[in-house]
Amino acid sequence: MTKNRDDLLAGLGRFSEPALYILISLADGPKHGYAMTQDIAEVAGQKLGPGTLYGAIARLEARKWIEPLPAEDRRRPYRLTAAGQRVLRHRLESLRAVARIGRARLAEG
Amino acid sequence: MISAERLLRLYPRAWRARYGEEFLSIVGDRALHVQQVIDIVSGAIDAWLSADVRTATAVGRLAPSGEGSMLKSLMICESTKLRFTTRDSLLSAAAMIGGTLIFSLVGIVLQREGWLVTGEILKGLAFPGSLMLSMPFWLMKGQPWKAQAAIVGISLALLTAAGYLATLI
Repeated sequence: MTKNRDDLLAGLGRFSEPALYILISLADGPKHGYAMTQDIAEVAGQKLGPGTLYGAIARLEARKWIEPLPAEDRRRPYRLTAAGQRVLRHRLESLRAVARIGRARLAEG
Repeated sequence: MISAERLLRLYPRAWRARYGEEFLSIVGDRALHVQQVIDIVSGAIDAWLSADVRTATAVGRLAPSGEGSMLKSLMICESTKLRFTTRDSLLSAAAMIGGTLIFSLVGIVLQREGWLVTGEILKGLAFPGSLMLSMPFWLMKGQPWKAQAAIVGISLALLTAAGYLATLI
């Protein structure tokens, strides 16, 4: 079960990293595309292009990890679903474990 | 300089209907960098090819308008995973088996009557023609009947033409 969630996120191919950033960006509340790109640039230092952003959004929507809210003006906010929260939480835990091992190996070397 | 609106036309109609407005609101009226143009073009290619993107953009488009392409109708049908009943399975099987038998038997009879070329074409059509005739019950289920008729009719015409050409070689 745990491994499957990781596989699902990794199954997004080249969109897995942008998708992770989007999930992280939506973790503190709904945002529209522009706000996501600004937030991701600030938090991760990555400037997502519109093609990449919406490729990742479509994949997350198809998997029901995020869902759209009614459009405001020309912008449509998205929010994290319960399934998306579970996937994000698990992915972050996996990354934390990997980072811990990496730090430990650096300290040994 | 290429505008974002022009690049947006590279995306499928369903994608533009779903994400076009917000996409333009993000890009704005600013001049695009080369890197952005590459990102948008690769995003358009992905939008045409990705089943995930088709699934996300197919919401609310189960009944496509007549102006939509037949290919897109097929893609929507496939991506939305319509449920097939036992009746659909039986009808498509009947179309396959019945069509194969009819095409083959008529072809054999015509050949015996001296219509060699026509008989050969019909025998060649037995499997592909039956497959096309069965498609309305599975692959094209839920699509407008005009689209179904056009796809089946044009495909049968092309197969017949190919069969005729094969007899000339």
